Amino acid sequence: MAKVIGKAAATEKIPTTIDEFFFWTDKEKILHPFDVVKAKHINDSVTFGVIEEISHITDAPSYLTSYISSDFGDVSHIANTQRIGLNFVKARVVGNTKNIYTPVLDGSEVSLGDEKEVQKALGLDDVKKPLACGYIEMYEAEDRVRLPVFLNSDFLLGPEGAHLNISGISGLAAKTSYCMFLIKAVQQRYLQKDIKPDQGIAFVLFNVKARDLLAIDEPNEDLDEEDKKLYDELLRLNDQPFENVTYFYPYDPGDYSNTYAYKQDVDYQIDVNKAFKYKYVYEHDKNSLELLFSNTYDPTDTMDSIINYIITEQDQFGDIRNWRDFMSEVDTYCQKQSGKDPTITPASWRKFKRILRKPLSNSVFAHGVDDKRNETRLRDHIADNIKKNDIYVIDIAKLDEDIQNFVFGDVVNTIYEMKLGQTGEREPEEVPQKIVIFVDELNKYASSEVPKSSPILKQIIDITERGRSLGIILFSAEQFKSAIHDRVKGNCSTHAYGRVNAIELSKGDYKYIPSVYKGMMTRLEQGKYIIQNPVLRSLLNIKFPNPVYKQFKHG
Amino acid sequence: MNEILRFIADLTGGTYYKSFRYCFEGVEVPTVAYDDNRIITMSQDKIGETNKSLKTSKSVADLSEKIMKDGKPLFRFFLDGSRRTYKIDDIAYGDRIYPIIAGQIGVGCCERSEPDSFKPSVLGMQIVLTLPDCADKDSKKDPFFNSLAQKINNLEVLKKRGISFQKVLSYTDRVLKEGEKYEHKGIAKIQDEMVENEKSMVVQLVREKKLNLQSYLLKDGSLEYKKIKGAHYKELSAIKSNYQCVVGVSKTFNPELFKDKRKKNLARRIADLPLFHRTPAFRYTNERAPDVEFSIWYLRVREISKTVSPFDGVLKVEKILVTDEEQENGLESDEIDYISANLLNERHPTCYGLDGRWANHLYPVYLTEKYIKSNYLSEVQFLNLF
Repeated sequence: MAKVIGKAAATEKIPTTIDEFFFWTDKEKILHPFDVVKAKHINDSVTFGVIEEISHITDAPSYLTSYISSDFGDVSHIANTQRIGLNFVKARVVGNTKNIYTPVLDGSEVSLGDEKEVQKALGLDDVKKPLACGYIEMYEAEDRVRLPVFLNSDFLLGPEGAHLNISGISGLAAKTSYCMFLIKAVQQRYLQKDIKPDQGIAFVLFNVKARDLLAIDEPNEDLDEEDKKLYDELLRLNDQPFENVTYFYPYDPGDYSNTYAYKQDVDYQIDVNKAFKYKYVYEHDKNSLELLFSNTYDPTDTMDSIINYIITEQDQFGDIRNWRDFMSEVDTYCQKQSGKDPTITPASWRKFKRILRKPLSNSVFAHGVDDKRNETRLRDHIADNIKKNDIYVIDIAKLDEDIQNFVFGDVVNTIYEMKLGQTGEREPEEVPQKIVIFVDELNKYASSEVPKSSPILKQIIDITERGRSLGIILFSAEQFKSAIHDRVKGNCSTHAYGRVNAIELSKGDYKYIPSVYKGMMTRLEQGKYIIQNPVLRSLLNIKFPNPVYKQFKHG
Repeated sequence: MNEILRFIADLTGGTYYKSFRYCFEGVEVPTVAYDDNRIITMSQDKIGETNKSLKTSKSVADLSEKIMKDGKPLFRFFLDGSRRTYKIDDIAYGDRIYPIIAGQIGVGCCERSEPDSFKPSVLGMQIVLTLPDCADKDSKKDPFFNSLAQKINNLEVLKKRGISFQKVLSYTDRVLKEGEKYEHKGIAKIQDEMVENEKSMVVQLVREKKLNLQSYLLKDGSLEYKKIKGAHYKELSAIKSNYQCVVGVSKTFNPELFKDKRKKNLARRIADLPLFHRTPAFRYTNERAPDVEFSIWYLRVREISKTVSPFDGVLKVEKILVTDEEQENGLESDEIDYISANLLNERHPTCYGLDGRWANHLYPVYLTEKYIKSNYLSEVQFLNLF
C-alpha cells in the first residue's frame, strides 16, 4: 500500500455507499478533482475512487465562532493554536479489484495510486484498438502521474459507438485543435499493421473560420520540444503535419472574394494539384436547391412545391441549362396572371425568388466546370475520388450562411449516397470503409431551433442515427451544446467539454455533471478537456498537445 | 443478555433486578461531594506571591502582547480527565438494595508543538465498575475486587468484544444521611479513580522529561487533589517537584468560598476584575493535602460586556509552591505574570457555539477534552454490554 493520505469516514448523516465514499486528509495535502484514490477494502481488495469534491471543515459551528475567535473581529489577531480543521474529500467509486461493491468501511486507509493503478481504476489498461485521445495528469510533486489516454477506437468510430461532439466557448476551448488532434490519432491508427486493407478511413473537414484548416499539411513551426515529446513518446503519434490533404475553395472569378486564404497560397496549392475550386452547375445541382431553404419556415410547403415543380422539369424548367435562365424563368412565374400553374400563387414564387436571389448571385453558382483550371463539382469529386487516408478540406468560411448550408448539405448527401452505393461507378471496396465528417458550428445545421422540415437537419439526424452502420462518423463542434437537437447529441457516443460559461452550465444537458466539475468547466484552460465515453468509468480531465499543423495567429 | 450481572450476583451472593439502565451525564446529577474548593484554609500569611504590595489587580496585556510577538508559548502540554458514569442495575445484598455503577474514565494529554500541530501525547482509557463494600462478604477488600474484575473479564461476552474492566471499585455501604444517595457515592469513587489517573499521567510526563521551564503542562481543573497516598507518592518533595511545571486552570469556581485576610469576600473583586487583569495571588492549603501549599489567583480573559455573567471569562489559576523559597515568600510575581500572560494568549480560538462554557474554556483544553471523549464507547454499546 502506498503512502496513506487519510482514512475513510462514514457518519450517521453522510454514510459511504456503493457509489461514493468520503475520507479525511490533512488540510495541506494538495489533491484535485479527477484525482484517483484507492481505499483498502474487505477481502484484501482495493476500491478505487475519483475525487469529486474537496471541502475544508473546522469544529466552528458558525461564522460567529470564527469572528469571536479572532478576538471579536480583530483582523490582526494571531492565535497560539490554529483551529482544528481538516479536508474532507468525496470520491466516486469507479471500481474494485475483486468486484466487491459494498461501501468502503469507516477507517479504511486511503492512498494515492501509481500509474498502473490509475490506469486500472479508470479502465485505461489493456485497451484494444487503442486510439490516443490525450493525456491525464494527477497528483503533486513526487507523486505526480502523467498517463496517455487510449480509447478503444470501436467506441469512437463504430461499430460499438460513434460520433463525437465537442462543445465550448469560442477561442478558449480550442475545439478545432482538439478535433484535429483526434483526426491525427485516427489517421495514424488506420495506418497501423493490424488494420486490414479494406478498413480504410477518409476525412472530410469543413473550414468555417478564416484560414484555420487551410494549411494542415504544413508544419507548426511553434511546436516546442515538450509538445514533440508528448506526441512521440507519450501518445505514440508522430509530430508531422497531415498528409494526403486536398483543399476545395469556393469558386470565384479571380478576385478570391469567396475565401480568406491568400491568393498566393491558393495558387500554389492549385499548382501542385492539391487544391480545387468548386462550383455548382444548374444542370446537375438543381436537385439540391432545397438545401438553400433549410432555414426557411415553410408551414404550407409552398417552397417545397415550387422546388418539386422545378426538379420534375415541368413547363420550361426542363430546357434550362444555367442559373441565369433559371432566375429569368422564375421571374416570369412571379408576374401576376402569367397563366402558369395556378396551384402556386405568384406571391409564393416571389418569396421563392427573394430567398434565392442573393445566394445564386454568388459566383460559386456557375455555368460550367473547367477541369484544366482545377475547377470541380464537389459531388463528383468526392464520389469519384475520395479514397482511404484522404483528407478533404472544404472551405466555406467566407460564404454566406445559406450557401454554407447548401455546401454542407450537398457534401453530406453525397457521402451518404456514396456509402449507400447510389453514386458513381466505383466498386464498393474502392470507397473508404469509414468517412469522418468534421464540422464546426453544428448549431447552424442541427440546432433545436432549425425548422423540422430542414433537409440538412434530417440528414444529420440520419447520419447520427444510422451513420454508424454505414461508416459515416460525425465529428462536430459548437459553442452551446444545449442548442443542439436532442437526437443529434443523444446519438454521439463521445462528448468533449472545453471551457463552458456558467449560463450554459445551468441548462439540462449538464445536470448529471457534479457541481465541482461544473465549476472546473468554467475555468478550463486552453488545451484541457473533460471527456465522456461509454468505456470510461468516469469523466476524464484530459490535456492534449499543441496542433502539429500550421497555425494562423491572426486568423 | 445480563450475563455479567448474573455472574456478579452469583459471585457476590446478591440478587439483580434488571433495572432501567442509563447514563448519569444524560440526566441531572447532583453535585458530587468531592467538588473542588470545598474546604479552603488560608495560610497565615495569605499572600501567595513575592510582590506583597499588589493590592487590587494588575494588567498582563502588554506582557501577553510581547510574548505573542517575540516569544514561544509557555504551554506545550494540555491534560484533562473525564469520566462517564452509568447506572447499570440494582443488586440486593441482604435486605438492602444497592446500585451498580459502571464508568468509563479517560485521561489524556495532547501536545502542541506548533500552532498548526496539535497531536495526542498520552491517553489512558479505563472501564470500571463499582459495587457496595458489602459485596465483599469476607472483607478481603482489594484482593476480592481485583479477582472479581479478572473473573468478569474472562466472560465470553467481553472477550468476544475485546473489552475488559480495569478495576472493580467499592463504595461505602454506610447508612445514608439525609439527601445522600448510594449512586453519588459510586460516582464519587469513579471520580477519585479519574483523579488518580490524572496524577499518574503527570508523573509519567515528568518521568519522560517532557515538562521543563519552556514546556509547561496546563491541566484542566484544580490541582487540589485529595490526600496523597500510595507507592508513587511517598516523598512529598517528589510530588511537589512533579508539579514544578504544571498549572491548573479551573473554568468554574465558587468565589464565595474565598476570603481575603480581612475575611472580606472576594466575589465582588473577581466580578469587577478588569479585562486582562489578574488578582494578587493568595496562598492556601487544602485539608485533603495539608502539607501542600498552593498559590492561587484569578485572571479575566474575556470582556465582561460580551459574556452572560460577571464570572464568565474569569479563570482560576493554581500552582503548587514547590521550592523552600516559594513556600517562604510565595510564588515569584514575575512568574505569575508570565503564566497569566501566556494564559491570556490561549484565549483564542474559542469554542463558542460548541460549549456553553466557552468564555472560560481554553481551546487546547477543549480539544483535549474532545479527544478523550471521542475515545469513549458509545452509550448504546456500553449499556448493552450488561
